[in-house]
Amino acid sequence: MSKNIEVSTNEKTYFLEALKSGIRLDSRAFDEIRQPEITLSKKEYGYVELDWGTTKLAVRVSAEIRKPYEDRPFEGLFMINCEISSMSWPHFDNQKNSNDEVLIARIIEKAIRRSNSLDLESLCIIAGEKVWCITVDLNFLNYDGNFIDAGCFGVMLALHHFKKPDISIVNGGEDIIVHDVNERQPVPLSVLHVPVCLTYSFYNPGNKESNLKGEDDDEIYLLDANLLEEQNREGSIVITLNKNRELIQLSKNGGIPINANVLLELSFKSMKIVDRLTEKIKEVIKKHEAERYEELNLRLLEVGADR
Amino acid sequence: MELYSPEGLRLDGRRWNEIRNFECRINTHPNSSDGSSYIEQGNTKVICMVQGPMEPTLRSQANANKATIEVNLAVANFSTLERKKRSKSEKRMVEMKTTLERTFEQSVMCNLYPRTVIQIDLHVLSQDGGLLAGLTNAITLALIDAGVAMYDYVAAITAGLHDQSPLLDLNGLEELDMSTLTIGVIGKSEKLSLLMLEDKIPLDRLESVLAIAIAGSHKIRDLMDNEVRRHGNIRSSKLVNN
Amino acid sequence: MDTNEVISITKPEALVNDIDSDVEMSDIEDIETPKDNSNTFKSSIVTPGELVTDDPIWMKGHGTYFLEDKTFSSVAGNISRVNRLLSVIPLKGRYQPETGDHIVGRITEVANKRWKVDIGTKQDAVLMLGSVNLPGGVLRRKSESDELQMRNFLKEGDLLNAEVQTIFNNGIASLHTRSLKYGKLRNGIFLKVPSSLVIKSKNHSYDLPGNVSVVLGVNGYIWLYKTVAKSNSAANTSITSNTSKFQASVDSSGSYAPGQGSISITRLEEESSWEIYSDKNDPNISNSVRTNITRYNNVLKALSYCELGITEQRIIMGYEASLAYSNIGSLIDKEAMESICQDIINNEKMRGA
Repeated sequence: MSKNIEVSTNEKTYFLEALKSGIRLDSRAFDEIRQPEITLSKKEYGYVELDWGTTKLAVRVSAEIRKPYEDRPFEGLFMINCEISSMSWPHFDNQKNSNDEVLIARIIEKAIRRSNSLDLESLCIIAGEKVWCITVDLNFLNYDGNFIDAGCFGVMLALHHFKKPDISIVNGGEDIIVHDVNERQPVPLSVLHVPVCLTYSFYNPGNKESNLKGEDDDEIYLLDANLLEEQNREGSIVITLNKNRELIQLSKNGGIPINANVLLELSFKSMKIVDRLTEKIKEVIKKHEAERYEELNLRLLEVGADR
Repeated sequence: MELYSPEGLRLDGRRWNEIRNFECRINTHPNSSDGSSYIEQGNTKVICMVQGPMEPTLRSQANANKATIEVNLAVANFSTLERKKRSKSEKRMVEMKTTLERTFEQSVMCNLYPRTVIQIDLHVLSQDGGLLAGLTNAITLALIDAGVAMYDYVAAITAGLHDQSPLLDLNGLEELDMSTLTIGVIGKSEKLSLLMLEDKIPLDRLESVLAIAIAGSHKIRDLMDNEVRRHGNIRSSKLVNN
Repeated sequence: MDTNEVISITKPEALVNDIDSDVEMSDIEDIETPKDNSNTFKSSIVTPGELVTDDPIWMKGHGTYFLEDKTFSSVAGNISRVNRLLSVIPLKGRYQPETGDHIVGRITEVANKRWKVDIGTKQDAVLMLGSVNLPGGVLRRKSESDELQMRNFLKEGDLLNAEVQTIFNNGIASLHTRSLKYGKLRNGIFLKVPSSLVIKSKNHSYDLPGNVSVVLGVNGYIWLYKTVAKSNSAANTSITSNTSKFQASVDSSGSYAPGQGSISITRLEEESSWEIYSDKNDPNISNSVRTNITRYNNVLKALSYCELGITEQRIIMGYEASLAYSNIGSLIDKEAMESICQDIINNEKMRGA
């Protein structure tokens, strides 16, 4: 990303020429995302592996009981750790976080944590004393562009998949008992809304002057760029939306300027994809729940079950 | 606390489409920098100093095709009501710094200055909302003062949405309670070079917020342009005397 | 998108006239204020992004960019039209080297057969080993041993004055010191002013009243030092026979500026001894000379503070005006600097009238 040296000039020209004639090198349409392939852990709650094209990532959600912040006694804690190592791409440094890595982590955090996608008050056990602390570890395994969209999708999927152990409060609020997941059915997290990040990359087919002073907006916009596309892009914007038609985040960290009308157009166009991805999360989780239900023979435990 | 009264007045008595007092000066530190500026956007106060284009101190900064832009952001401990020490490696700082670097890489004609570095030092003296916008405006002015070739001004401003009504140029209190959109506009166009929205707004309201923000940034551009011209005329009148 | 009306309480007009307000930054311009108000503010300057012309006959020069037929300015400055060439000259900016400029620089790096010199340009200038006078005669070949002892001639941090020999394609300036007036600087202090303030002239080293000389680098780097004429440093070395002649010529003319007048090739050779790279200052600099150097230093600071162009005459006038202040330290007070510059301007007006 930061080091463009690996792309030769000819490669770049070839790529841009293809774009100008309306072709993406992996034959997708300009506004088409790669199909996510989801693997949900059957044994644990809250472990998800996601294949977003050849971008791969693993998400692990864990919960522990902690003391809340003093200024917010009724709210649980929620953290997202982004782990970007050289495993995913040699250019990422293991020791030092590059600007790109900070941006990725920050945008995902803003999309999910800042937008209150997780109901923090429902994580409260005893006000001011004990709350659940939910930690999401996001590990990127292979990098082929677009960590942001994939990361955000992966985290949301894992939050839906995760269940925290049931607890009961005893001794008049003095102590709590954490029930083992085999003892009592664990409780899912209360997710208020599902933010979906979509990254558009821009390419300027003309020269800089026409981009800045020209009348016509002939910049090319690609949704969900892969690595090669990301290395060649001249700017990008992350639009985060949910299916309630709420704009959660806009983030354009420099790059070539885009017209305000184009921004509006892109945001409205994105809604369709947002709906589809939100639906996908719901669908996959539902299917997974059903399977688990079958597997554990949970039907037998139901009150009206015929034993 | 009423952010926007039924009579159409905001906390500090402004109308919805009114910007805060905007003051700017260029060439404030002529001896210690190649270009410098000072801006006040309400109570947000920023000093900016530009060094360069100059020989890079690190070999890795030398790019054979274009200038490297390096932004250093220092936020004074006393810049907020509560005195607080801020580290430069804070994620929010790194994000802002990266955003500014990437914005100005595009609007400065970097290709004219190969193998050099343009170092931009920002000092935030006081924060009262619209920090990123203030920083952007300060950099624009300092770069112009330094005589660095740019395609156009980058003028930035914030706007928010209160209920149904968009509000222009939020102050610190408003920013806490409202979702804030920061935009950076190229000159008098409607082209956005910088865009930052961190809280929810309904998608269908985006257009009205954007519209007032763009109009506001054009106003800021004019105010900055006035200062550049005022200073430029004084300066050129002196040189003619020789 | 519709453009909304934006209310703003900052009145640009008020801002222009309201220069005496307590905003500390405006003080710099205070001196010139009365004149500017009369000048009517219709400016000839352009600012970045401004359309300069949409006439296609103009050729686009520095400080501009174009799209189709339209030419836009990319800097804030004055439009210059030379024949068909349209360019915008920035009001301020880093020093742009030109061949023949007399400059003062500082060595930043000793590299392979060359020194890197900071002369206030975008990229450091180079001084090739082959472009300096070395001990043992000008016309000799530079040997490997010279390469090895480059640091003995000039090392990092040394100040020198030189001339721009040529500008390479990539914009880097190449310097030379192949004249006696160039070389290492000694016996004085260094001062930096914006390069735009130094007015180019035929000669850039002057002897000033008070036994002080100045090298006024075109790049805004200035060296103030004790006038060499009174220096005995040349006498206490190997130069024996020539010294007397040299001294004589100095005394007859009354003021000797290094490099002025013709120098025979033989003398040049002898002068190019190790002496010219010596790191020793003249041990006998009197207190009065030191005081004068400081005084000039502060006068130059005042000129640069008020953004007045710097010429020999102005320096001398400033020096004379500064004699009213017995305490040199007080010269850098804002009032003192402004009053000195006002004196200079008044003085010039009187002479001009």
